[in-house]
Amino acid sequence: MTAKQQIIRFESAGLAYSEAGETLSDINITLGEGEFRFLTGPSGAGKTSLLKMIYLAMRPTRGRLFLFGEDASAAPRDALPLLRRRIGVVFQEFRLLDHLTAFDNVALPMKVAGVNVNQYREDVSELLNWVGLGDRMEAKPPTLSGGEQQRVALARALVSKPDLILADEPTGNVDPAMSERIMKLFVELNKLGAAVIVATHDLHLVQSLGKPVLRIADGRVTRSAAAGGA
Amino acid sequence: MSETAASETAPARGAATPKRGVFSRWRRDPLLPEAGAGGAPLTAVIAVMSFLAVLAMAAVLIIHQSAGRWTAELQSEITVQIKGVDAAEIAAGASAAIRVLNETEGVEEAVLKSDEETAALLEPWLGKGNAEAFLTIPALIDVKVTPALRADLDPLRESLAAAAPGATLDDHATWHNRLAMAAQSGQALAVLVFLLVMGAACAVSMFAARAGLAANHEIVSVLHLVGATDEFIAAEVQRRFFVLGLRGALAGMAAALTALAGAAFLLERGVGADSFLPQFTIGGWHALWLFTVPLATCLVTAYTARLTVLKALRSQY
Repeated sequence: MTAKQQIIRFESAGLAYSEAGETLSDINITLGEGEFRFLTGPSGAGKTSLLKMIYLAMRPTRGRLFLFGEDASAAPRDALPLLRRRIGVVFQEFRLLDHLTAFDNVALPMKVAGVNVNQYREDVSELLNWVGLGDRMEAKPPTLSGGEQQRVALARALVSKPDLILADEPTGNVDPAMSERIMKLFVELNKLGAAVIVATHDLHLVQSLGKPVLRIADGRVTRSAAAGGA
Repeated sequence: MSETAASETAPARGAATPKRGVFSRWRRDPLLPEAGAGGAPLTAVIAVMSFLAVLAMAAVLIIHQSAGRWTAELQSEITVQIKGVDAAEIAAGASAAIRVLNETEGVEEAVLKSDEETAALLEPWLGKGNAEAFLTIPALIDVKVTPALRADLDPLRESLAAAAPGATLDDHATWHNRLAMAAQSGQALAVLVFLLVMGAACAVSMFAARAGLAANHEIVSVLHLVGATDEFIAAEVQRRFFVLGLRGALAGMAAALTALAGAAFLLERGVGADSFLPQFTIGGWHALWLFTVPLATCLVTAYTARLTVLKALRSQY
């Protein structure tokens, strides 16, 4: 039996936006291959900040962060793109590119990785069909509803088959049926080996899946056992 | 995970692919929006830069062409001047000099100017009719020589001095040197103007690239977060600026060529014939030189944008 690879490891990490004080302090969490965590906490507690550190939009201002075994907190700038390509992120505010079609938005991670269009065309189409946007592939984000944009963002996060999936309120703008489908997809991808962190306010969702929870309060992360159980 | 479990939730294989245009295989949608890089204003500024650069390059070529023609004429011609105390002595000296010239190998043609022609040369300084009335005008002989003779004129100079004591030989060296220096100065000035225009194109490109980057901050941020390298983003900007630069540079060159063709047409029709402006033709290799200007302009624009973006990305993001 082989040991699980460590996907994320924070060592006494902290994050400060200014000299006024740390937004996140003493983060010591690990996440292994194929593990699933919910991330909960009140608004402004630091969920998004924690995710930002993990998807390398920011680096810890204190302590260390290891991603896929590499010290991302000290890695040279040139090494970050390769780490980021192994992470799929569903941003809370979607962050789609308005001048690109839904198809091109989803294909973005493949394009920047230099993959030939013939190699990803089918995958992109398949994902868009799956999220129910097969007939809106050529539509641009401003013409899509909030829920549709969220599904495009979801497809973009998954198209490159990432080792780590981060989702910030991924079901905030979709109906309950689609919400359930999205969460089931995360669970299936998790079973296939991807590590998943879902930040959410939806306690019903957290309880229904029975996965371990990371709770943030006052800038500190605490663990709790699997909530509820499905 | 079992196949069954996966099929319940994972996207189905073989889903319909989107209908994209026939040419979508070759078309590459820009990752940066069309308006993001300053679009039309940048194209217009590059067009103006290209217009000035083509004119500067044309000036280099025209000066080179004209100076070459003038110096070639001066190189193949010398002038023999015969002075004397009176007209008879001058006429005798001129005859002797013509004889020597005709017997000298390397002299292609020797033509004695008439008194009227020689007096006409003095008119701008002395006024009409004054030269003949108050001066003993020397005789002038225009001589066309071969390059071999031109290379060493001392034996001819000595023969002329022996045959006609009042004869002096002018090889136009002073004029030639001054003309060459004037041509070189003109060319250097035109090259300087060309370089200044290229420098201005660099500055404009830098400014536009920085402005474009600021305007597209969110897009650049997303590109980074999905794994784009700085080089990838810089290459996108470079490609965009190359296209904008090419459009502007070609428009500027077209305008400059139209202006040059108009100037050439007017000079050919005699407009400005009294001025110092030389007649010119631009074709063949010269035209190729002109075509390098838009290419240089858009390369400078694109490469400057690339370097600017790389530097900005490394310091700001």
